Amino acid sequence: MTCSAKSPTSCSIVPPYLLARIAEHPDRLAAAADAAKRTLLEQPAVVESRMQHRTAPIPGSGTALTPKLRRTVFDAGQKQDLPGIPVRTEGAPPTSDPAADEAYDGLGATYNLFSDAYGRSSVDGAGRPLHATVHYGRGYDNAFWDGNQMVLGDGDGEVFERFSKSLTVIGHELAHGVIQYTARLVYRGQAGALNESVSDVFGALVEQKFLGQSAGEASWLIGEGLFTPAVSGQGLRSMSAPGTAYDDDVLGKDPQPADMSGYVETSADNGGVHLNSGIPNRAFYLAASRLGGYAWERAGQIWYDTITEPNFPADCTFSLFAAATVTAAEKRYGAGGAESSAVQAAWKEVNVVV
Amino acid sequence: MRLVVVRSGGIAGMTRTWSSEVSSQEAEERWLPLLQDPPAADAQKDVPDRFTYEISVGKAAVTIPEESLQGRWRELVDRARKGNGEARAPE
Repeated sequence: MTCSAKSPTSCSIVPPYLLARIAEHPDRLAAAADAAKRTLLEQPAVVESRMQHRTAPIPGSGTALTPKLRRTVFDAGQKQDLPGIPVRTEGAPPTSDPAADEAYDGLGATYNLFSDAYGRSSVDGAGRPLHATVHYGRGYDNAFWDGNQMVLGDGDGEVFERFSKSLTVIGHELAHGVIQYTARLVYRGQAGALNESVSDVFGALVEQKFLGQSAGEASWLIGEGLFTPAVSGQGLRSMSAPGTAYDDDVLGKDPQPADMSGYVETSADNGGVHLNSGIPNRAFYLAASRLGGYAWERAGQIWYDTITEPNFPADCTFSLFAAATVTAAEKRYGAGGAESSAVQAAWKEVNVVV
Repeated sequence: MRLVVVRSGGIAGMTRTWSSEVSSQEAEERWLPLLQDPPAADAQKDVPDRFTYEISVGKAAVTIPEESLQGRWRELVDRARKGNGEARAPE
């Protein structure tokens, strides 16, 4: 990375060789640049409602209503007004639009993981309806959770395909919703990287449970299939081997560190939240692999117990989080058991002091 | 004077950098006044997976979230991107 001590805001995580390479390949990035430019020109005010609905509603006593899956998929029609026009509601037949149907199915798969594995109904634990908007913006190279719903772009078609293609991405975005109602991890620095990592963990688990894969069978990739064939890469991130998800002549090499020795100090990306998440991601992978079987069962349960612990510190560091996972493992499975040992060993391997 | 825009974040976590050389007159008339009055930073409004823009004009620099990138700020970023198509590290 390059960084000026005099001007910390001008730090960049882009190494000079990568910048030079991008400059040498204007043709391949032209569409992405044009798409992003259109995005900029159309940028409307985004609903600043993330701070709302922080607390799950208290179920009324004696209510006969059982929380259940209630989905609505909206189509933004390549504009940036949310939520857009509803195109598929709960129980309705498939549309002719793959993006809308992938989003609908992804909402269902995510609901099922949290409901079946952890007894949690929806992101708030109280059956909150799940909303997704597809076709957000023109060539928009991103997906996000805005505090109320998931939003998916179509990708520029040159580097990225539509973001609904990856179930891990959908699970990741909704997991941000779960964190909003549970650990409320501050989206900056180490806490932000944990927010990102926990979202990757549950995004991966959504896909693994949907496919019925054990820890040993899973790809542990986030965003597999999002890159166009023109890009040399398997996905956005690798949880099993951070730093190896892509190595492309234009995009460069996946910059994620695999342990604390590679921790990235930067002002970009809210303090490198999408970079340093590689460290806790790998810790989860290592713990899950050591335990074997289905990762959403014991390893996933320990991580879920950790983020749902009351009074969890929102500004949590890696070390505090690691210690919390060990405590959660001991609490559920007993001290000195295979579970707490696996978790402790995993954090040790990525050089996070518990 | 050089305009540099570093876009980071997004679910992909990939950083893109654009820059453009502009005249001192253009920088002083159009862009530097803007940087002296940036949108108020509010950590509470950090939204998961949205882009963050680090914008610098000469030695002046600000960081703003994607949601604040409207009006003149959009023009500034667009100006840096339109520039000469060259990507280079901020100085």
